[in-house]
Amino acid sequence: MESRFTFTKGTPQYRNYRIGVWALIIAIFLLIGFAFVDVGSISIGSNKYNLSLIRLNKAIAYGVAILGLQVVIGYTGQIALGQSFFFGMGAYISAWLVAGHSWPFLLTFLVVVPSCFLVGMLCGLPALRIKGLYLALLTFGLAALFPTLVKLDSLYDYTGGANGKLTGYKFKAPSWLPLDEVAQGLQTIPLLGSFFGDGPLSSREESRLWKYILFAIVAGICFWLISNLIKSRPGRAMRAIRDNETSAAVSGINLAATKTISFGIASALGGIGGTIYVAEVGIASPDDFSSLVAIYLIVGLVVGGVGTLEGAIIGGLVYALIPDWASSTQSIAFVPERWLQGPTGSLILGILLIVLTLFMPGGIATAINKAKGRFVSIKAANSDKNPESVAQN
Amino acid sequence: MDLFLQRLFDGLTNGSAYALIAVALVLIFKATTLVNFAQGEQAMLGAFIVLQLWNWGLPMWVAVLAGMLISGILAAGLERTFIRRFDPADHLPLVIITLGLFLVLNAVAAIVWRYDPLAFPQLFPHGSAITIGNARLSWYSIFAFGSCILVLLLLHVLLNRTKIGLSFRAVSSNLESSRLCGIKVGPTLQFGWALAAAAGTFGASIYAANPVLQIEPSIMLRALIFSITAAALGGLDSLWGALLGGLTIGFIQSVLVQYIPFIPNEMTLTATVVVLLIVLTLRPSGFLGTKAVERV
Repeated sequence: MESRFTFTKGTPQYRNYRIGVWALIIAIFLLIGFAFVDVGSISIGSNKYNLSLIRLNKAIAYGVAILGLQVVIGYTGQIALGQSFFFGMGAYISAWLVAGHSWPFLLTFLVVVPSCFLVGMLCGLPALRIKGLYLALLTFGLAALFPTLVKLDSLYDYTGGANGKLTGYKFKAPSWLPLDEVAQGLQTIPLLGSFFGDGPLSSREESRLWKYILFAIVAGICFWLISNLIKSRPGRAMRAIRDNETSAAVSGINLAATKTISFGIASALGGIGGTIYVAEVGIASPDDFSSLVAIYLIVGLVVGGVGTLEGAIIGGLVYALIPDWASSTQSIAFVPERWLQGPTGSLILGILLIVLTLFMPGGIATAINKAKGRFVSIKAANSDKNPESVAQN
Repeated sequence: MDLFLQRLFDGLTNGSAYALIAVALVLIFKATTLVNFAQGEQAMLGAFIVLQLWNWGLPMWVAVLAGMLISGILAAGLERTFIRRFDPADHLPLVIITLGLFLVLNAVAAIVWRYDPLAFPQLFPHGSAITIGNARLSWYSIFAFGSCILVLLLLHVLLNRTKIGLSFRAVSSNLESSRLCGIKVGPTLQFGWALAAAAGTFGASIYAANPVLQIEPSIMLRALIFSITAAALGGLDSLWGALLGGLTIGFIQSVLVQYIPFIPNEMTLTATVVVLLIVLTLRPSGFLGTKAVERV
């Protein structure tokens, strides 16, 4: 016990600890942004691994979509596999508003969030009758039909058919943000300065960095809202439904309302993720939202950790980086090339999905929390009677 | 009229193939109340094994039977390794495992056989058996439908007239009680998985033997949705319901969608999902399924 740092909730030390942790996270986040804004890859052996901000921005988009899955699968316990449908829906609505009506990207959230929320609630309505596996079937079908839906001829003007819809929007960093100065300042640090590139940021690099920060703020707001939601009354109702539906109903929880709202929230988050995705990629194309994407999002959910918020971030990173890295691995000793050229990413994700479900049901997030529990223990405010130390969530 | 007949025949052809995969899904659902999302990929892998054996010089039908055997053994192994250790009442981990198998099997097939479409052995005679006006019913359709009926009859006999069939039905009816009766539940479920995989491999072989199709790793992706819908339509625990559901989906695809003007041609998948939605909402147990009574 003595080797651990112990904090008691409600004390100034605890507050300082929280502030310190968050400051550290934000600092690391920004440093990664500045470090990889120009280089964008690391080499191991003869293979180059892409770590550009484009990948990280995609990870943020996937992370938000997986956060939606956390709400509906992780906290409400409904097996919904159709997140790619809402991911695509958000992406297409934004692309259409931005390209066709020249809206700024951030404003499209005003349309994306309510419309995805409503459609999600509509899809949640059958869920009141359809339970468990049937729901999984139905939502899987929903995910499968999205690409054919947007390829319809009658929707060509809105969706751009099989070619996809270009947004034609350029993010421009606001002039008051001292990105360039910070980058130059970081470069003057002795020894480490060379990691942060050379000379002033080009306008493309600046806009890339701005997108990175902007998306992270949007995602941060989503995570903050959801973390409040699950600690609140409706969130506890959701968890009660997950743990035992009958006893939840007996305790006076409105099953119908809670389930539909949880579906709606999940879908709205999927839509937000889709908007971020299309803002990064610049084009919404049907194959980016196939049922395979829905399965990959599930992989992200499971690998990150079902029912944990941090799991969504880890899952987003896993989804954005692993398939890409697998396809850029051209040679590893002892592995025949044939196994590296095919859909290796899909293979690895599938194996991860199985292995984690078998051996680490809590996902990476739970493992990290356990590891953290060895060094830091957080006590509840009146912990004298209750000496059990709880790993911080 | 000719066109209508032709569409009916097309529906019959596709419907039989969907029904065969649906039968596999139903077998697993009966055994473990689990929908195996990897069933389509298992069947695809089985069909590739059949193709490989045929390329190595085995006679066509011997290759099919051997492929069914091999995929059955593989499925039994999968059940033992990944499925049995989970609580059958907790669906989420099981669904996730089958999704993982889906990804892995698909990737393995794509790595071993690549994405290029390959010609599958023609299991049935060429040409059309019956010609009415301009509508042709090919031998392939007749044999596909016939083998679908044959498989169902065989399964019916196996489940209703044999000892292992009896224990299979006992386990699917009540797992706890059958364990108390001394039935070895694990091996029985394993047998169910093997049976399902063999039926699936047979179905995929029939499907890929369609003269207009070639076999490739993604061949079952679309068919899986249709088969799942077929199984759910017929009632997830009814073998003959799978046939009924498969044919219904086949006819919806080829007849209904073609004759309703406001549904565009590419909407077959959407129409299928909408039908699934309606059926699950109004009659969750499907056409022939047993109504689930839940004790609260």
